[in-house]
Amino acid sequence: MKMFAAALAIATALTGSAMAQSYPAKPITMIVPFAAGGPTDIIARFVGEHMSRSLGQTIVIENVAGAGGTTGITRAAGSPNDGYTIMMGHMGTHGAAPALYPGLKYDPTALVPVGIAASTPILIVGSNKLPPKTLQEFIAYAKANPDKLNQAHAGIGSVSHSTCVMLNVQLGIKPTAVPYTGTGPALNDMISGQVDYMCDQIVNLSEQIRAGNVRAYAIASPERSPALPDVPTTKEAGLPEYQVIAWNAIFAPVGTAPEITAKLNDALKKALADETTRGRLLNLGAVLPKENEQSQAFLGEFVKQEVARWTPILKAAK
Amino acid sequence: MTEKLQGQPGETPRKRSQQDLGGGLFLIAIGLFAIWQGSNLPLGTLRSMGAGMLPISLAWMLIAGGALLVLTSFTTAGPDLERWSLRGLCYIIGGVLVFAFTVQRFGLIVAGPLSMIIGSFASDEARLKEAVIFAVIMTALCILLFKYALGLPIPVVNFRW
Amino acid sequence: MNEFAANLALGFGTALSLQNLFLCFTGCMVGTLIGVLPGVGPIATIAMLLPITFGLDPVGALIMLAGIYYGAQYGGSTTAILVNIPGEATSVVTTLDGHQMAKQGRAGVALGIAAIGSFFAGTVATLFIAAVGKPLSQIAQFFGPAEYFSLMVLGLIFAVVLARGSVLKAMCMILLGLLVATVGTDLVSGQERLTLGIQDLSDGVDFASMAMGIFGFAEIIRNLENPEARDVVKSKIGRLLPNWQDIKDASLPVLRGTFIGGLLGILPGNGAVLGPFAAYTVEKKLAKDPSRFGRGAIEGVAGPESANNAGAQTAFIPLLTLGIPPNAVMALMVGAMTIHGIVPGPQVMTKNPDLFWGMVASMWVGNLMLLIINLPLVGMWVRLLQVPYRLMFPAIMIFCCIGIYSINNNTSDVLFTGFFALSGYALLKFGFEPAPMLLGFVLGKLMEEKLRQAMILSRGSFMTFVERPLSLALLIVSLIMLIIAVLPAMRQRRDEVFTE
Repeated sequence: MKMFAAALAIATALTGSAMAQSYPAKPITMIVPFAAGGPTDIIARFVGEHMSRSLGQTIVIENVAGAGGTTGITRAAGSPNDGYTIMMGHMGTHGAAPALYPGLKYDPTALVPVGIAASTPILIVGSNKLPPKTLQEFIAYAKANPDKLNQAHAGIGSVSHSTCVMLNVQLGIKPTAVPYTGTGPALNDMISGQVDYMCDQIVNLSEQIRAGNVRAYAIASPERSPALPDVPTTKEAGLPEYQVIAWNAIFAPVGTAPEITAKLNDALKKALADETTRGRLLNLGAVLPKENEQSQAFLGEFVKQEVARWTPILKAAK
Repeated sequence: MTEKLQGQPGETPRKRSQQDLGGGLFLIAIGLFAIWQGSNLPLGTLRSMGAGMLPISLAWMLIAGGALLVLTSFTTAGPDLERWSLRGLCYIIGGVLVFAFTVQRFGLIVAGPLSMIIGSFASDEARLKEAVIFAVIMTALCILLFKYALGLPIPVVNFRW
Repeated sequence: MNEFAANLALGFGTALSLQNLFLCFTGCMVGTLIGVLPGVGPIATIAMLLPITFGLDPVGALIMLAGIYYGAQYGGSTTAILVNIPGEATSVVTTLDGHQMAKQGRAGVALGIAAIGSFFAGTVATLFIAAVGKPLSQIAQFFGPAEYFSLMVLGLIFAVVLARGSVLKAMCMILLGLLVATVGTDLVSGQERLTLGIQDLSDGVDFASMAMGIFGFAEIIRNLENPEARDVVKSKIGRLLPNWQDIKDASLPVLRGTFIGGLLGILPGNGAVLGPFAAYTVEKKLAKDPSRFGRGAIEGVAGPESANNAGAQTAFIPLLTLGIPPNAVMALMVGAMTIHGIVPGPQVMTKNPDLFWGMVASMWVGNLMLLIINLPLVGMWVRLLQVPYRLMFPAIMIFCCIGIYSINNNTSDVLFTGFFALSGYALLKFGFEPAPMLLGFVLGKLMEEKLRQAMILSRGSFMTFVERPLSLALLIVSLIMLIIAVLPAMRQRRDEVFTE
């Protein structure tokens, strides 16, 4: 396998420019490391649909779920680097994973960055049955009742797990963590008051907040979300250091020709400029990368920062 | 009651279920294997159960069940162990393994006929010519059905090592 | 009441538009097809079809995807009855009596009663959703981890009742199933357990690859060794459709099955899986002669099949009224709704009434279509049984292989199936029945998850299961069921002793 990869790398280098010019000549597979229907999958489908149109070849979404997304990324990272297999990585697989999975078979910072697709802000939400009504009250309550507090999350390695670990570390609290197999069951138990609070992506929570089934304490982004204009930012609520976002970005296997990834980046930029695609993404409550954040170099730097930021937090909490 | 097994003279005649004896031993073996594999898992406490708590206790319960089967096998009547049909076992599982090893490398066009032809020899009525023709037709049908009608991302023709 | 009629009128107005009728039909057809094909489940298919629905309006798209889901439940019973392979956890019980009926030349009757029972259950469940879906969804709120665990205990008792032979052997199989369910990454700590260092096992054993192995392939190997057994199916054809006597026999089981399945379907965390098992248990316990069960009793097909389909419909209740998906397929439906710009939540009913009522109405229309699609197919399926076994089993084999491969596009699942075929064959040779093991496996994951959640929340006190009234009630019912299940076996044992 290694020999093959090396041989292919040489072959790519030799025929690189010729191949890159005719690229893409057949459908491209984008591996999404989560089950179909989740936020990352939906973002991949929205962006992939417009990219297919501008590249002139279909981008086929293949869901390879498992082990917090690392199964799919491992598979994608080991695929031929001819540009016909790319992947949608995210905060977990390319930020938190190195700290959580010691035997990780890929290096997030070594994969070729294509560009950030979209990010979904993180909210801190509490059960209606919990006394505190604001973030400040919540912090006071959490510190006063360390043994009573139950925090739900959707499994080790999930966005809701990592982001809440960061919150707990920053607040200096050690609640009892209750693991669930997904956001749905966790929300169900939070609505009925079995568990007290959790952190998760806006798309999973917005309707429950609007219906008044759960209480939103704050949104961990620099600005308020148009989807939930009443929810204060962490900065407004008095916890400015809690800034975290579930970002999703496209990567290609190590050694993919720069001409190819440049074409992919170009197609991604076009998708992000398209009104329909933008509308669909914004409707999820997603935040789109600004002009200067859409480059490959920006993503490369960003991944390095994310790995450096998550590793100490998650290792300490283990 | 007609059988008399390793009982000392004068003891009540015993029946024995070979099947239960074998089955019990089989379960005990599985249980021991699980305990050996899970020996490094922390058991934890009731308040925060460790990863090993359930697997290990289930394995012990399985061993207990197996032991109970072994014990009762000496006192209850039951069928003797049947002979294993090695032919069926080898060809069917062989066919499945061949499918697994060829489908991603060569695609369905190779994996389909190959595994079906091997598999069909599990039956003693198998005829080579018929098996080959049927395998080719079925593979074509499967390609149409799975790849084109349902659109599943299964490799059809692939020559990747 | 007036409002109810107006809502239904709105729903049927939406569902009966030409485009939506066509989409509903397409969904049902595709669903039936993938249900019949072993391994290929609704999850893979709906995921593949998501991009196609981009161009459709949301209501039409969801009507089609929902059709695939409940259509697959209809189709799944066909494979279970004809070739004894349960494609999904919910059709495991159907194999018990359904396949026995097929062996007795009553395949047509079994398929027919499954279709009619499913249609009835679908109709009732749809009305149910329309009338009391909203208040009913509150039931989910009463089920915390402790209640759920007690419900699972009750489920495991069902597995004991399922057994044809020795109760002890059935219990051993449940334990084995539970043990296999613990393979994979630990939910709480993220540690790998009993994976033997195989990375593809880190998410645990896949239900389909296990069911195909120990039901499908092990059964084929066993059939091949005694030629008499496999030709029984071929020699008799029998009636193609159930007659009045069959329908009369099945009518009460269908009613009970619908009720049980419909109720369990509402629960989050895939309570619908329990439906068919519970219905089977009830039928076996109510029967005058329980020994007929496992030997081709029509009640053993009618009850579980109705429960299965009723559960498939009511599983939409938490999704449509609360926005919380109770199982993996429903989570995918959440994705489908989101893709079409509808974020599911408690307000879908008021914000998108045409979507809600359109889907409800289309479910009834879809069930009617499925009946119309499936009844004529019965003749074809039965005739398929006449194909010589030496050709039939390689065909089953290749379908299973492709189906399993397509679940995760992963060859290791196919390898695991080979392994399970070997172990399933060994278990058969030792006189163990596979059904209780599969139930143990299905419930095992949920059970461990809920047990550990409950213990974490109670800070390590087992009293939580007894202090909560609903949980206590479920445990008491379990205890009574266990006594009822074990007593006859004990009495039998004593009889045996006395005859000696």
